[in-house]
Amino acid sequence: MNAMEKVAWTELTVSLAALVVVACLYPWLGNGATGAFGLLGILGFSVIFLRRRGQTVIVDERDRDIAQRATMLGLHGAWMTLMMTLVILVLWNSYNDRDAVSISLLNWLIWIQFAICFAVKGLVAVTAYRRQQHAS
Amino acid sequence: MPRKSEPQLTNSVRELRTESAMTQQDLADQVGVTRQTIVALEGGAYTPSLTLALRIARTFGKRVEQVFQLDE
Repeated sequence: MNAMEKVAWTELTVSLAALVVVACLYPWLGNGATGAFGLLGILGFSVIFLRRRGQTVIVDERDRDIAQRATMLGLHGAWMTLMMTLVILVLWNSYNDRDAVSISLLNWLIWIQFAICFAVKGLVAVTAYRRQQHAS
Repeated sequence: MPRKSEPQLTNSVRELRTESAMTQQDLADQVGVTRQTIVALEGGAYTPSLTLALRIARTFGKRVEQVFQLDE
């Protein structure tokens, strides 16, 4: 497993773990459960995998191709989810004659987009690495 | 309108590497990629960039079309 594959696995597991922890804490903490999205901060430590060891190449063109495709799909997935959620939210509020959206709801939306973005990015990259390994 | 299927790129990297008594790591170090990329390339699971294809061909002292073939 090369460095970028480890980064992809970290992104996938950390983002899914954050979503699971938030879902588990919600019945007790309510909106405070969004604090568990702070687990996404662990992703910052994934740079440890990218440290240089002698002259060995850590990231090459194949890794960059996969990362580019994964980032694009991750961002598009999160963006589409955000847009669709906002459309539904506006329609729902309009139907119920409400003028305002609660700040806590927007807070939830933003955090969920981050988690979805990293989860999709990680999943796409892990799948690409697995597929290439199985094909060869 | 029917889509034309992608042509398959085959290569002789494994054979040339074995003839040159090189390990995958040796070749990877020489052309500046990871060993996993050489594994994917030899298995036909990865299509290299033109730069990488030229580097590999140069490592074996061959022309690029002697290392990579397009099966149409």
